[in-house]
Amino acid sequence: MNWDLLTVALMAGAANWAFRALPILARMERVAASGWLGRFLASTGPAAIATLFVAAVLPSLTLDLARLLPVILGTLAVLAVWFTRKSVVLATLAGALAHGVTTWILG
Amino acid sequence: MTRTRPPFLDGLAASLPIVMGYFPIAFSFGVAATQAGFTGLEAFALSLIIYAGASQFLALALLSSGAPVLVAAFTLIAMNLRHVLYGPALMREAGEGATRRHAWAWAWGLTDEVFGQALGALARGQRFSEPYMFGLGLGAYASWVSGTVVGAWAGGGALEGWPALNAGLGFMLPALFLALLLSILNRRQLPVIAVAGVVTVIGTLMISATSGILLGMLAGAVAGVARK
Repeated sequence: MNWDLLTVALMAGAANWAFRALPILARMERVAASGWLGRFLASTGPAAIATLFVAAVLPSLTLDLARLLPVILGTLAVLAVWFTRKSVVLATLAGALAHGVTTWILG
Repeated sequence: MTRTRPPFLDGLAASLPIVMGYFPIAFSFGVAATQAGFTGLEAFALSLIIYAGASQFLALALLSSGAPVLVAAFTLIAMNLRHVLYGPALMREAGEGATRRHAWAWAWGLTDEVFGQALGALARGQRFSEPYMFGLGLGAYASWVSGTVVGAWAGGGALEGWPALNAGLGFMLPALFLALLLSILNRRQLPVIAVAGVVTVIGTLMISATSGILLGMLAGAVAGVARK
C-alpha cells in the first residue's frame, strides 16, 4: 500500500464526509443563506462543475480531427439528450456512446 | 401516500439510473488507476474512502506526478467544497418535520447525482425518509466501489484492444460534468460558469492543469459573490 495515497485518501475522505454530513447535523438550512458567504457557497457548485468540464475537454481541443470530432459529437449528444429527456444519466451515456462510436468510425 | 414496498427498497430502485452511470465511470477509474501504476487494492481504497469521482481521477494525476501529499489533499478537498450546500438544500425541501438522526451515515452518500435524485423525488411530492436515503446512497456507493474493483481487476491493458470503448469510457466523465452543469443551469449562474470556464483555460495554458482547475473554481465563486 502506498502510504502517501492512503494519507491523501483519508484526508479527502474525512473532508468529504464533513462537507456532506455536518451541514445537515448543524441544521445549516436554518441559517439565512444571505450575504457574501451564501453567494460564494451558492456559486461554488456551478463554478466547480464548469471548471471540471472545461479541464476535461481542454486537452482534446486541437486541430487533430481524430481527437476533436469525437469531443464535439459527444458534447452535442449530451446537449441533445439533455434537452429532450432531462436526464443526467441518459445524457452522460449518450455522450460517451457518441464519442466512442465517432472514434470507432474514424478508426 | 400508500407505499407498496419499504422506503429503503424505494431508494434502492431509485438508485438504478445512477448505478448505470456510475459503474462504467468507476470501471474506467479502476483501469486508469492500474495504468497509472497503482494496485487494485489502492484503487479500491480510493473509491471506498474518498467516494468522489472527479477528485479521484485528479488524485491519480497528482500522486503519480509526485505532488506533495498536503498539496494533493487540499486540492481534492477544495474540489468537493460544493457538497457543503447539498445537505442544507435537501433538508430545506424535506421540511421541518424531517428526521436526521442517521444523517451522519446516509449523508456520506450525498454525491452530486444522489443529491439531484433525492431533490427530484421531493419535488415530485415524495415524503423525505432516511431509509430511502440509505437505499439511494447504498446503490450508488456499491456501484462505484464494485465498478472500480472490476476495472482494476481487468487491468491497464484491458481496453487496449478496444480503442473506441476506451475512448467512450474516457468521455464518460466530461459528459457527466456537462450533463450536471445543464441540470443546474439558470440565468443567474451564467456569469459564474463563464468566468470559471475562461479562467480555467487561461490558468491551464499559463500555469498548469491543476492551477487552472483551482483558479477557475475560485474565480467562478468570486464572480458569484460580485453578482447582485
